[in-house]
Amino acid sequence: MKTSMKKLTCRVLVVSLMTLSFQTAQAGLIGAEQAAPATASTERALILSTLDRGEVASQLQAAGVDPQAARERVAAMTDQEVRTMAQDIQTAPAGALSTAGWVAIIAIAALVWYFAYRK
Amino acid sequence: MTPAGAGFSGSRRRVASGGTLALLLAGCAPLVPQTVALRTGWPDGVPRSVELRDVPFFPDQDYQCGPAALATVLTASGASVPMKALVDEVWLPSRRGSLQLEMLAAPRRHGRVSYRLAPAYGDLLREVAAGNPVIVLQDVGLLGTQWHYAVVNGFDYESGTIFLRSGTEHRLELPFTAFERSWMKGQYWAMVVLPPDRIAATADEQRWLESVAAFARAGGPEAGVSAYQAALKRWPESLPAAIGLANHLHAQGQLGRAATVLAEARRRHPQSIIVLNNLAQTLSDQGRHAEALAVIDQAMDPASPFAGDVRSTRQLILERLQRGRSASAR
Repeated sequence: MKTSMKKLTCRVLVVSLMTLSFQTAQAGLIGAEQAAPATASTERALILSTLDRGEVASQLQAAGVDPQAARERVAAMTDQEVRTMAQDIQTAPAGALSTAGWVAIIAIAALVWYFAYRK
Repeated sequence: MTPAGAGFSGSRRRVASGGTLALLLAGCAPLVPQTVALRTGWPDGVPRSVELRDVPFFPDQDYQCGPAALATVLTASGASVPMKALVDEVWLPSRRGSLQLEMLAAPRRHGRVSYRLAPAYGDLLREVAAGNPVIVLQDVGLLGTQWHYAVVNGFDYESGTIFLRSGTEHRLELPFTAFERSWMKGQYWAMVVLPPDRIAATADEQRWLESVAAFARAGGPEAGVSAYQAALKRWPESLPAAIGLANHLHAQGQLGRAATVLAEARRRHPQSIIVLNNLAQTLSDQGRHAEALAVIDQAMDPASPFAGDVRSTRQLILERLQRGRSASAR
């Protein structure tokens, strides 16, 4: 399933790369990003990235950011960053210890206290 | 590839626990590989003791260590941005923290280039020694994970101390070992913020140019010109720097300067299809169609990934030539 998804993604990318011309800085000029050796041409999924920008902006809104500010925040990101963000915003570890973590710690402390002192 | 990690940060109110952390970790030298390496190999050319006393201090409240750290380095770099504005730019209310990725994106909106450092103690020290305060991501939790952004503004080799602007502490001192323990959990994440005409002391050519491209994308042509100009000065052989500079000059309407930059790039990289294509386009935009045609003819390589761009540039030049001819025939 996973490999077939990957294959499909690759095919979509190859076709879109063939049919779309490369993103140009302005009419007729090829952008500097294209000259960077590590920038694999397969990274240039322009259609995908436009979708991602809207998606990430609404994810930011869902996280409590004002709609206008969310759009501006996304605008400051590169295509690559937008793609990373689209995945990260859901899977990133939380900033603080979760309530469940505290419950576990208190429970363990209570057990230790019980066995150590109650005898 | 992109320096974007997944961590959130919320700052602690009780930063004083840094001292406790130091006590706990005092015996952990083998667990701090980079500190051990520093003991035998201090980085060349880095002074033993540095403290950037002019770095401002923004005490953070309500877990807003991300905006506070950004305000600190932005102000130190000469761009004074109110912390209130930065809260709107990097703060995620539902998570009570800031994403690393947004920490890197926000300075671009204030005319500053942000750059993620290589995960090395030596590079951190080198940047501070060069006068650049460094934002670091630490895990300062005692029991669980507690992410926190702070700004390193100094160090002292003799006493083995790192100085930070952190949380509500104007001058937090942490032993090298304790600092490494808190820093390594975030994969030694660190970033600097610089005005576009300066380059980080530890900048790697390719990664710096990625930062500049991201900066230019958000900051417009004028900002792009000065950042690419500085990069080309530092790495005269760099192809992306030359192309970026020329493109931004072109966008500003400075076609003559763009053509000069591209002609020099062509001398250094005679095979580059991008240089040939962009030079031909620029010459043609200047009205030098015949020269442009001679240049674009050298770029006609059907196997190149830019073959489509080259063909359409050539087509455009031919159309302009014909239009010119029919206009003069009339």
